[in-house]
Amino acid sequence: MSEKANILFVDDEERVLRSLEMLFRHRFKIYTTTDGNEAVDICRRDRVHVIVSDQRMPAVTGVEVLRRVREVSPNTMRLLLTGYSDLDAIVNSVNEGEIFRYLSKPWSAKEIVNIVNQAAGIALSLESEGGAAASGTAPGVLVIDEDPTVVEMVKAICGKERQVSWSVDLDEAFETLAASDIAVVVCDIRLRGRDISAAVKALKESNPMVLTIVQTQLQDVETLRGLINHGQIYRFLPKPARRGLLEMSLDAASRRHVAMKAVPALSNRYQVEKNDAAPVAALSSRLQGFLDRMRQGKPL
Amino acid sequence: MAEQSKLRQLVISAPGIPPHLLVSDVADMFMDESHGKLLSLPVLDGDRPVGLISRARMQQVLFRQYGRELFGKKPVTSIMNDTPVVIESDTALNEASKAVTERLKFPVTEDFIITEGGRYVGMGAVMHLLNAMESQLAAQTEDLAAAYKQLKASQLQLIQSEKMASLGQMVAGVAHEINTPLGYVKNNIEMMEMFFDSNRALVCASNALADALLAPHGTEQELQEKLAVLAELRQNPSGEADDMLKLFADTRFGVEQIGEIVQNLKNFSRLDRAAADAVDLNECLDSAVLLARNVLKSRVEVVRQYGELPRISCMPSQLNQVFLNMLSNAAQAIEGTGKILLKTETEEDWLKITVQDTGKGIPADVLPRIFDPFFTTKPVGQGTGLGLSISYQIVQQHGGDIRVTSQPGKGTRFTVRLPLAARAPQENAA
Repeated sequence: MSEKANILFVDDEERVLRSLEMLFRHRFKIYTTTDGNEAVDICRRDRVHVIVSDQRMPAVTGVEVLRRVREVSPNTMRLLLTGYSDLDAIVNSVNEGEIFRYLSKPWSAKEIVNIVNQAAGIALSLESEGGAAASGTAPGVLVIDEDPTVVEMVKAICGKERQVSWSVDLDEAFETLAASDIAVVVCDIRLRGRDISAAVKALKESNPMVLTIVQTQLQDVETLRGLINHGQIYRFLPKPARRGLLEMSLDAASRRHVAMKAVPALSNRYQVEKNDAAPVAALSSRLQGFLDRMRQGKPL
Repeated sequence: MAEQSKLRQLVISAPGIPPHLLVSDVADMFMDESHGKLLSLPVLDGDRPVGLISRARMQQVLFRQYGRELFGKKPVTSIMNDTPVVIESDTALNEASKAVTERLKFPVTEDFIITEGGRYVGMGAVMHLLNAMESQLAAQTEDLAAAYKQLKASQLQLIQSEKMASLGQMVAGVAHEINTPLGYVKNNIEMMEMFFDSNRALVCASNALADALLAPHGTEQELQEKLAVLAELRQNPSGEADDMLKLFADTRFGVEQIGEIVQNLKNFSRLDRAAADAVDLNECLDSAVLLARNVLKSRVEVVRQYGELPRISCMPSQLNQVFLNMLSNAAQAIEGTGKILLKTETEEDWLKITVQDTGKGIPADVLPRIFDPFFTTKPVGQGTGLGLSISYQIVQQHGGDIRVTSQPGKGTRFTVRLPLAARAPQENAA
């Protein structure tokens, strides 16, 4: 890296800050604060490439800090580092914080170095890109959900402007993704009684421009953590689906997609952590072959 | 059950007596063995019952002097009971029993007539009705006993789930409390390993340089090489001595903190089965605060005003549960930020523990019900409604009580009073 990135750590325990500062100060310029409000001020004042925040702090929660940082400094890569978190916190970290990674305490020094390095690299590369005017044709939406009311709702929201495809079969869904211009995937993580979160993760890995909106009844912290780090899902919504919420999410996702098309580097923000072998084993061999070809950049 | 409990099952078939039949002929009918089980026979006009003649009435008439001569040639209607007990066959057993006991007199000398849509179908014996009633009651008692048992079991289950809920909350809090120091301790150790590696390389390079300097046949080039290696290694981050000291101090602090939390946890759950003498309730409160920190930490300031408390004999793990419940209630009552005051004091023969919050308060219409089992204002699935009811039970078993005052919008104050001469309750306490 030719230029040093600026990293901000936020935690109410000073010893955590000291420890992290010592780990990173040779690589980056480090800011630290125990005060969430001050963290937002720092991001407003200075160029902060990466912010890593604790969740549970006096006065302001980490998710709240990240949400406000997203407003004042949208290019800052946001990471949550927490010792324990309730489901609300993690859901909001996706929907409001649009975080890059969800890290747990205790963390591994090597891992956090790799992840923060990656985040800093992405932030620096985006900085040199500059913003291009976002405009483009309205791309399509793919629904992977066996519940027909979801498709109806998506169709009602999209109207005639955006094409809506529907699939209840993963192989078919991936073919649709390859064949048509899809901006947003709306899916559940259960399909016909099976867990398809591995496919949801693989989808993002092979289609970084596609934004994923997961709608599910399932409420599990670990699953959600995986969907953030390995799947970089864009929104996590409860079921039964609520139209207002889905409409807002779909609009935001479409805008984001258009912006990424204008500046492809923006999609770097959504790089996923490489999946372990195990979860991918849950995919069908056909789908697996499909993904392998995609990863190697070969024609389908 | 519905079909069995009807009167229909008790029907005894018996021939009807036409109204014009003579008393002496009826007397002969009673001699017939086949009606031996009946106390009385019906008098029927067609299939409509018009009266009933009992063995006892016949005896009364015939045993009289010249009874047979006087009444023998008269129709049975002249001596029959023309207001017999008539009950429809689909009447429930308890209804029938009510009608029979209201109408029949002691000693029982008559049966009752059973009809269907007003038409005679047979006779019913009081004894049979009683037997049927008894077996029905027995069945009901059994049902009740089963229902009671089930209720008891589900109550225990609920109490258990309430315990699990507070346990879950506790575990969450403790996990967070431990993970924070564990986070930096682990990071520090991994850093020290890295520093150690670079420092070892530095020491090796320095030694090599020193050896080269001292070697009698050392060349300029060798020295240059060793120096270059050393210079390159010195570029690596190796940790300043002061930083290392800080790192060690922090790590030690973190490990001690984890130890403290674990100790506290042990105190909290210790003696779960036995009562303990000489318990310091201030300590109990402290461990409850520590475990409730999960719900308190970010928003709620805990102010402690502890008085000098004599040690009392009690079940500390149970009282801890009470305190934890009150603390988390208080924390939940506070929207945004607020304070909880914990005050302990002695007052005459009582030990008083006050938990006061600056929360939203409890509306006056809700206040009288807060100790009721299953009463909750939380959404389904978020509270069992048992927390305070169990707390109350526990305090009561310790010979104490809980009082509450609340001002909507200002806050709530719970006061637990325990007798100073408290004796620990028995094992079977919930």
